[in-house]
Amino acid sequence: MNQPLIVGAVAYTPNVVTIWEGMRDYFAGTPAEMDFVLFSNYARQVDALVDGRIDLAWNTNLAWVRTVAQTDGACRALAMRDTDAVFRTIFVTRAGSSFTGLDDLRGRRLVLGSKDSAQAAILPVHFLDHSGPGADSVDISRIDSDVGKHGDTGRSELDALRAVLDDRADAAAIGINTWEAIGREELMPGAFEAFWQSPTYSHCNFTVMPHVGDERTTPWVEQLFAMDWENPAHRSILEMEGLRAWVPPHLDGYASLFDAVREQAIPPRW
Amino acid sequence: MVSRSLVSHGLVLDLVEQLGTIARYDTVTLPLEEDERDEQRSVVAAWCTRTGNELVELGHDTVTVRRGRSPDPLAELGAALMPGARLWMYTNFDCNLACDYCCARSSPQSARKALGLDRVRRLASEAVDAGVTELILTGGEPFLLPNLDELVAACTSALPTILLTNGMLFRGNRLAALQGMDRSRLALQISLDSATPGLHDLHRGRGSWERAVAGIRTARDEGFRVRVAATLPHGQSHQQQPFHTFLDSLGVAPEDQVIRVLAHRGVADEGIELTLESLIPEVTVTAEGVYWHPVTAGHEDQFVTADIFPLQEAIAEVRRRFTEMRARATAAGQWFPCA
Ligand code: SF4
Repeated sequence: MNQPLIVGAVAYTPNVVTIWEGMRDYFAGTPAEMDFVLFSNYARQVDALVDGRIDLAWNTNLAWVRTVAQTDGACRALAMRDTDAVFRTIFVTRAGSSFTGLDDLRGRRLVLGSKDSAQAAILPVHFLDHSGPGADSVDISRIDSDVGKHGDTGRSELDALRAVLDDRADAAAIGINTWEAIGREELMPGAFEAFWQSPTYSHCNFTVMPHVGDERTTPWVEQLFAMDWENPAHRSILEMEGLRAWVPPHLDGYASLFDAVREQAIPPRW
Repeated sequence: MVSRSLVSHGLVLDLVEQLGTIARYDTVTLPLEEDERDEQRSVVAAWCTRTGNELVELGHDTVTVRRGRSPDPLAELGAALMPGARLWMYTNFDCNLACDYCCARSSPQSARKALGLDRVRRLASEAVDAGVTELILTGGEPFLLPNLDELVAACTSALPTILLTNGMLFRGNRLAALQGMDRSRLALQISLDSATPGLHDLHRGRGSWERAVAGIRTARDEGFRVRVAATLPHGQSHQQQPFHTFLDSLGVAPEDQVIRVLAHRGVADEGIELTLESLIPEVTVTAEGVYWHPVTAGHEDQFVTADIFPLQEAIAEVRRRFTEMRARATAAGQWFPCA
């Protein structure tokens, strides 16, 4: 029997404990047992991963980019949620603002979320530069809250939406998860509308260091993929973690973030 | 200017944010804006439906939302603790003893309040279809009833049955009645509180320990499975080991040695407090109707319904109340084995 794989995760809500205890229990008694260690921020988690103090990390896209950089590409991504493969950034404004695309942001006030949030800060700047008028031509303000958690809490995005509601900003860039959480345009007609959505990109993944061999990761990934939405015991874990199925990593989906981190000279330790 | 509708939208943002910071199944309560309440209520209700969170309460000026949906409390109990898995019947309330902690307030002076053969027959015959897997007859002292053999036969012909008794009356006609009972379907549960007479006699009366022990021996000699149930006052749990050793010597199987904590009910003037919230229900029928749990039978606050029949509906009512109560209460239930 292999030693349990030690998985790192960042504790951004109390539910993280429930989620990972559920995962640990799911793997218990299988040929690929696991345990978990919680970190207060992704910088600490990536350090622990690179130092070999944990075997695997549940990483955001930014943490993946940082790990690739620190390991010269030797780390591997094992799996992601179905929802991680089709993540998007949504640009929203007040309903009736008649914005139709990123070019309408020229000279207008755009509020971004935490500086370490790929979806609400780093990629929006990248999209403005590559698909819009350029970040320099937009009046950008930032709401830096919960820095270190890579936007997981969503708090900065909600604050950005409040700024739009209060007319302190003309538009906000948020992750599609936050957009879904507030019910998109449908729940609150007259409040917000989306005027641009980004191409899909990849979000979180399980990142593993090269010293952990296939003989340990293969059975673990097989077991992970066997989680079944139709099985009520599995479903409660999947629901909390925000997915219906685990899928192989879509590595192409990280290209935009690699570019953005390089172009914006994002520091290596957030 | 903040327009009317925007206040509602701010509330949704607050909800998303606050639910994000709490554990699953915890709740948050947010104030509703005066002048905006109706709109805010409908937005919150729609948001909960859409996002899979539970609207716990729409109050006059607040709204309470649970993160996720509370789990089905019945499903969590599992089959063994499911209300109605066992059916308790109080055959009568009078007793030859007057124990000072009796949860049924029984004594020789108590009114009999017999459930009666007709009702016991009908309960036993409806029990199988109602999903009951075990019948339990209790009192008072059932052996005071002249027709106990018929009551027991009605039960054992339907389901495995346990008969609770103080074991002190196995003589003459009553012994003959016992001898006629179905050993393959009936177990006796006899109360004995200690390995020596002191503690038992203190609460149950001088000489009662000796007769109870004799009763256990008689029942065992007659070939019955005997469970022994002890009622220990709070703080006497150190008495447990000598007691188990004694019961072993009487030939009582370890799994049939039941020790329960004294409840503060009936004529007991101390004991742990039992409330609806702290008791997982055990459907209990008396001549007066259906109660929440055998340890609180006869107590008004735990009365469920006067309608014993159909039994299936009485059980459904207990389950419904349990689900409702659990939806409100966050405290975990305490299983109180009055078996
Ligand atoms: S505890 Fe049992 S034996 Fe004692 S008075 Fe009550 S019913 Fe009778």
